[in-house]
Amino acid sequence: MALKTSAPRKGGISRVNGPEGIDSIPLRYGDDPYVWACWLYYEDGMTQGEIAEAMGVSRATVNSYLADAREKGIVNISIEPARLASLTIAQELKRHFGLSDCLVVPNDDDTRPLIGRLGAAGAQALAKMIKSGDTLAVAWGRTILSVGEHLEMASLQDVTVVQATGGTTASFAYTPELTTAAVARAISARCVNITAPAIVASAQMHDMLLTEPLIREQFDTLARANRVVFGIASLRPNSTIHTSGFFESVPLQHYLAKGAAGVLAGRFIDERGRPVAGPLDDRTIGISLEMLRGIGTRVAVAGGFDKVPALLAALRGGYVNVLVTDAATGAGILRADGVTSLDGKLSQRQKSTPVANAYRTHVKKFLNNPNDVVEEMLDGLIAAHKPYLQPIGNSRRALVARNGPRPGKVGLVIGGGTGHEPCFVGYVGKGLADAVAIGNIFSSPPPDPIAKCAVAASGGAGVLFVYGNYAGDVMNFEMAAEIAEEKGIPIRTVLTTDDIVSSPVEDKEGRRGVAGNFFVFKVAGAACDRGMTLDECEAVTRKANDRTYTVGVALESCSMPQTRRHNFEIGPDDMELGMGIHGEPGVSRERIRTADEIVDTIMDNIFKEMKAEPGDRVAVLVNSFGATPQMELYILFRRVEQRLAAKNIAIEANWVGHYCTSLDMVGASISILHLDRQLTELLHHPCQTAVLTINTPETP
Amino acid sequence: MQTFDNASSGAIVLSMAERIVENRAYLSEIDGRIGDGDHGVNMAKGFGMAAERLKGKDASLAQSLDTLGTVLMTEIGGSMGPLYGVMFTEFAETIQGVETIDAAAFSKMLHAGLSGIRSIGSAKVGDKTLLDTFVPAVEAFDAATAAGKSFGEALEALVAAAEAGRDSTIGLVAKIGRASRLGERSLGVLDAGATSCAIILKELSDGAHARLG
Repeated sequence: MALKTSAPRKGGISRVNGPEGIDSIPLRYGDDPYVWACWLYYEDGMTQGEIAEAMGVSRATVNSYLADAREKGIVNISIEPARLASLTIAQELKRHFGLSDCLVVPNDDDTRPLIGRLGAAGAQALAKMIKSGDTLAVAWGRTILSVGEHLEMASLQDVTVVQATGGTTASFAYTPELTTAAVARAISARCVNITAPAIVASAQMHDMLLTEPLIREQFDTLARANRVVFGIASLRPNSTIHTSGFFESVPLQHYLAKGAAGVLAGRFIDERGRPVAGPLDDRTIGISLEMLRGIGTRVAVAGGFDKVPALLAALRGGYVNVLVTDAATGAGILRADGVTSLDGKLSQRQKSTPVANAYRTHVKKFLNNPNDVVEEMLDGLIAAHKPYLQPIGNSRRALVARNGPRPGKVGLVIGGGTGHEPCFVGYVGKGLADAVAIGNIFSSPPPDPIAKCAVAASGGAGVLFVYGNYAGDVMNFEMAAEIAEEKGIPIRTVLTTDDIVSSPVEDKEGRRGVAGNFFVFKVAGAACDRGMTLDECEAVTRKANDRTYTVGVALESCSMPQTRRHNFEIGPDDMELGMGIHGEPGVSRERIRTADEIVDTIMDNIFKEMKAEPGDRVAVLVNSFGATPQMELYILFRRVEQRLAAKNIAIEANWVGHYCTSLDMVGASISILHLDRQLTELLHHPCQTAVLTINTPETP
Repeated sequence: MQTFDNASSGAIVLSMAERIVENRAYLSEIDGRIGDGDHGVNMAKGFGMAAERLKGKDASLAQSLDTLGTVLMTEIGGSMGPLYGVMFTEFAETIQGVETIDAAAFSKMLHAGLSGIRSIGSAKVGDKTLLDTFVPAVEAFDAATAAGKSFGEALEALVAAAEAGRDSTIGLVAKIGRASRLGERSLGVLDAGATSCAIILKELSDGAHARLG
C-alpha cells in the first residue's frame, strides 16, 4: 500500500504529539496508515474528522482506513459471549417464528431473580413500542406486574391501559387490577379496569354481566386495543396457575386431560396453539383468543424452563409477535421445535463479529418499521386524499375516485407498484382515472385488486386499463382483465411505452412506460369523461402514448426502505442515461456534464423521433425522480424551452415537479407530448385529482 | 420402485419457505445488480405468508403447494408472483389425489408447472430467466429415468442440472424483464429468478429424496 502522507495540511491543531512530526507516519506505527488510523480512533478516542486533520488526509480516506482495517483483521471487535449467545437466540427465534421482534435476556446474571430481569426487558420492549394515542391491553401475572414495576415513560399522550380480563381474588399481589394499574401508572396512562370477576358462576351470569352498560363500555375499550402485553402460564404441577386462585382446580384437571399446554389471559391452548374447550369457557370474562390474535402488537413476556411447552404452543398458535424471554428458555423453545442449527451458530459465532460501522453506511429515512412502509403510506395517503378517492370495500390496495365512475362512461383503471408517488394514486379523481390498483414497492399489484378496480370503475360501457409496459404488470393486469371479462366487463388495454431510449424505434412496443404516463393518463381520463366509446377511448389513448417521448437521467440510484442502501453506485463523476423508474440501472453510463448539455442530449434523442414541424405545439413535463430539487428542474426546463423555441415549437402547457418518482433517486426525466387538436382539447379537459386539477378549458 | 407419500410430505413446502426466507438478502442483492433489488424481499414475503398459513396444519404436499401457489398468485404481484404462483398451482393440481408419488408422477408434475409458466410468460431458454434453471432440470430428470436410473438418482440429476442451469445465466444477456434494457451490461451476473428457482427445485428434490421408500 503506497502512502499518501505528502498531502498538504490546511492548518488546524494536531492532537498527535511527539517529535515525529505530523505529516509523516510516526515511527511507532511502522509504515502502516491503517494501524495509525485505528490507534487514533479506538485507543485515543479521536473523531474521524480529527484523525483526518492529524493524518493530513481526507475524512473519506480515514473512513475507508477504518473499514478496511476491520476487513484485514487489524481491528477485531468482539461481543461478550453471553450477550452474543442471547442475541443469536433472539435472531433465530425471530426468524423461525416470523416474529416482528424478539428480546432475549442473557442467563449470565444469576444475582437477580429471573422475574425481575424479564420485567426489566419487557419494560424496555414496551417503551420502544408504545406510542401516544395507543390502547394497551394488559393481562395479569407475576411477570407482567414486574414489567409494570420496571416501566417508566413520561412523554406519552392519550394512552389508555385496559385490563384484559376480569378481576380475581386479591389473595396474591399480581391480580389483574394491580397489574394493569402498575402499567398505567408507569406511563401516566388512563386506566380502565374490567369491573367484573374473571370467572363467574354460570354462563348466564357471564351473559348478563356483559350486557351491563358499564362493562360493555369497558369491553369496547378492550376491543380498541392495538397492543397487548401478557404472560404465559404453564400447566406443569409447580406452576403458579394452581395456587393463584384464578382457576378452580377441578376444571383445571379437565383442561389438562384434554391436552392443554398453556394459558394466556385466562384461556387454554394445546401444544399446537389451538384453543382447548372446557367448562370455564362460557364463564370467563375477558379477552378471547381470537380478539387477542387480532391485536397488532402482541407482546409476550415469559421465561423459565418449565414454560417451554406453553411458550412454544403460544408461538405456534400465532398469539405472539413480540417475544421477551431469557436465553435458556429461548434455546429450549428452538430445540423443542426442531431447530438444530442453533448449537452450531452459538459456537462458531464466538469469534469476532463485525458490529455496525461507525461511519455512514445507510441512507436516512423517515421510517417506523421498514416492512410496513407501504401500509403506513396508504394510511396517510387515503386520509390525505379523502376528497378524491376512497378504498374499494375494505381493500386498501384498490382505490376508487369519488364521483369518478358513472353509468355510460368508460372506466379508466391505472396502477402499478409503489415508490413512484404521486404516481399512480395522485391521478385518481373526477375527469381522470376512476380507480387505481396498488402493488408493493416497484412491484405490480396482484390480479385481485386490479379486478376490483375494474368492477368499481365500470359504468357499463367497458373499462380501459392503462399502465406501464413491464413484464410483471402485464401478467397481473392480463389475469385481472380475464377475471373482469368473465364478469361481463369488456376490457381494453393500452401499455405506456414512452421511454424512448429503453429500446430502439424498431422495437417501439417493447419500450417501458415512465413519467410520460402522466400525459397518457390525462388524455385517457378526459376521453372517458367526455363519454367517448371504449373504441374511441382506446384509440386516442394509444395515439397519446405514440406521441409521448421521455428520456431520464439519474445521478444517484435510489435506496429501498428495507435496505437503506443505494441499489447500486453511480460513480462520483458519472450519470446514467436512460434510467428507468425502479432503480434498475440505465442504458448507458456517461460522464456527468452541465445541465444544458444533458438537456441537449435528451432533446436530441427526442427530436430524432418526434417529427415536429415549426408551429407545432407540445406539452412538457420536467419530472424529478424524487431527490432532485425544484430549483434544478427549472434549470432543465429553461433549456428545454430554449431548444423548443429554436425550432419554433410552442409550449401549449407545462408541468415542472414531482410527478413520477423512484423513491429517493437523484435525477430527472423530460417528457414531451406532441399535440394535435384532439389531444390539446383532451389535455385541457377539466379534472380534479390530488396532484392535477384543471378547472378552466384555457389554462392548465 | 421408489415412491414417496403425498399426505406426509407437506413439510417440504415449509422447508422450501425457510430456505427462501434465509436467502432474502442474497436474492435481493443479485437482483439489485441488474434489476430493482426486490426479488428476495417479495419472495420471502410470499413464501413466509404461505408458511404462516401452513404451520401446524399437517397438510399434504398437494395442499401445501396449492396454498403456496395461491398466496403467490393472489397476494404478491410483480412478475414472480404470477410465474411461481402458476407453477406451484400446476404442481398441486397434478399430484392432487395421488397417494404415492413415483418418478412418473413427479415428472408429470414438473412438466405441468413448466407449461404453466410458459402459458403466461414469453421467455425461452437462454433469455436469462428462471427457465434456464427449470428446463435443463426437468430434462435431466427425464433423461435419468429414461436411462433406467432410480427415482432417487433422477432427483440428484435434477438438482445438479438446476444448479448448472442457474450458473449458466452468468454468461447470458437478459432478453426479457427489466434487466433486458441493460443489454450486454447484464452479462456476468446471476439471474435472480434462476437462482431462486434452483433453491426451490433443490429443496423440493431433497425433500422428496429424504422421504423415498
